[in-house]
Amino acid sequence: MNHLTEEEMISHFYCEDLCQAEAEIHLRACKRCAQAYEELSQLLRSMHAPGVPRRGSEYGAQVWQSIQGSLQPHRPMRKRSIFRWPQFAYAAVCLLFLAGAFWAGRFWEHAHSKRLVAGGEQQTKERVVLFVLDDHFDRSERLLVRLNHAGGGEDSVDFPLQAEAQQLLSDNQLYRQSAAPANDPLLDAALDHLEQVLLEVANSGNELSAGEIASIQKQMNTQGLLFQIRVLRARISEQKTNAQAARKGANI
Amino acid sequence: MGNDDYGLIRRVLAGEKDAYGLLVAHHSQSLFRVAFRITENEADADEVVQETFLRGYRKLQDFDSRSNFGTWIYRIAMNCALDVLDRQKSHTVVPVAGEYDSDLPALQVADRAAGPDRLLLSREIEARRYAAMARLTPIERIAFVMRHMEERSTEEIAGALGIAPHSAKQAVFRAVKKLRQSLAPLWVRS
Repeated sequence: MNHLTEEEMISHFYCEDLCQAEAEIHLRACKRCAQAYEELSQLLRSMHAPGVPRRGSEYGAQVWQSIQGSLQPHRPMRKRSIFRWPQFAYAAVCLLFLAGAFWAGRFWEHAHSKRLVAGGEQQTKERVVLFVLDDHFDRSERLLVRLNHAGGGEDSVDFPLQAEAQQLLSDNQLYRQSAAPANDPLLDAALDHLEQVLLEVANSGNELSAGEIASIQKQMNTQGLLFQIRVLRARISEQKTNAQAARKGANI
Repeated sequence: MGNDDYGLIRRVLAGEKDAYGLLVAHHSQSLFRVAFRITENEADADEVVQETFLRGYRKLQDFDSRSNFGTWIYRIAMNCALDVLDRQKSHTVVPVAGEYDSDLPALQVADRAAGPDRLLLSREIEARRYAAMARLTPIERIAFVMRHMEERSTEEIAGALGIAPHSAKQAVFRAVKKLRQSLAPLWVRS
């Protein structure tokens, strides 16, 4: 065996060398290594631990007194769960927000579509009424024109005029009832006036003489009624134009 | 003791702060002993003990129940001692010369001598030893104290200092070589 190195001697002193028995044999055989090892051992044995000052039995209590003021109690440990509070709270808040947004969107869409449908229904209804009334007034206007002209030379008015008057009378009664809630004085007055004229024409028998026609024209003021109807038709025409413009705007 | 320690740790973690006082009482003496052996200064040793228990309390949630609390707190104490020595190294100038410096502070050691000559020699040896220890790096010093005075294994030293076992062994070697350089002349003379 070669001479022991200083590190091998140190390891041997602390019994940490792997070949302790071999080192021991070599130290017995080699005077030089034995002397060096003796010097090292002497030195290390002289390295006493410094005398430690005495600390009484109350030392632990003193240490505790000095540090306990700066310690905060630990929070009791909770069992670990997949629903750990902070993460779960954030996830729950996000989920609630998404659900709220979803339901708010659905609610708004539902209400909005209802309003649109209601508004659309109202507008459609108004458009239908305007169209039908315009048609009714158109037919009534033509009947009144013919009636006004009839008194000129002919002796009597033929049957189709009375038949049309009967048809217009039944329509007019319906429109008058329908228009009543709208509380439109001009429309109400015109329809009421028209109804009286139509009633007179329809109930005048199979033929109307020139005298009877002149009497109706005078008593019923058919000229005035014709003017009222033309005014109403002009107004209806204007309303129809506005309704069409509004419809285009809504579609955009 | 180990089971007692674990029961106390569970009480501390459950919010019973005062239970930690019992752990402090159980382990403060042994920690002071090793802290003093490393620092060789009472005030520093007290500081190491206090700091060790403070750090231990704050890290108690990380304590592995399979470990031994004494070993665990001992490791923390070594780290605290290392910090104290590092701080001292940065503030203290230690003479590199191997010659004995009579101005160096000497520790008061137990008087085991029969006469004045013996007492004088003891003082000189102690002063030399103190100076030699002061020349070691903090790692070398702790490794040497743990190996030579605390009789800890290389693995324990490595674990306490957070270094590889080979590095711990080398730290002990370097410490012994340095001490030998400083103290061998004294032995020749005596």
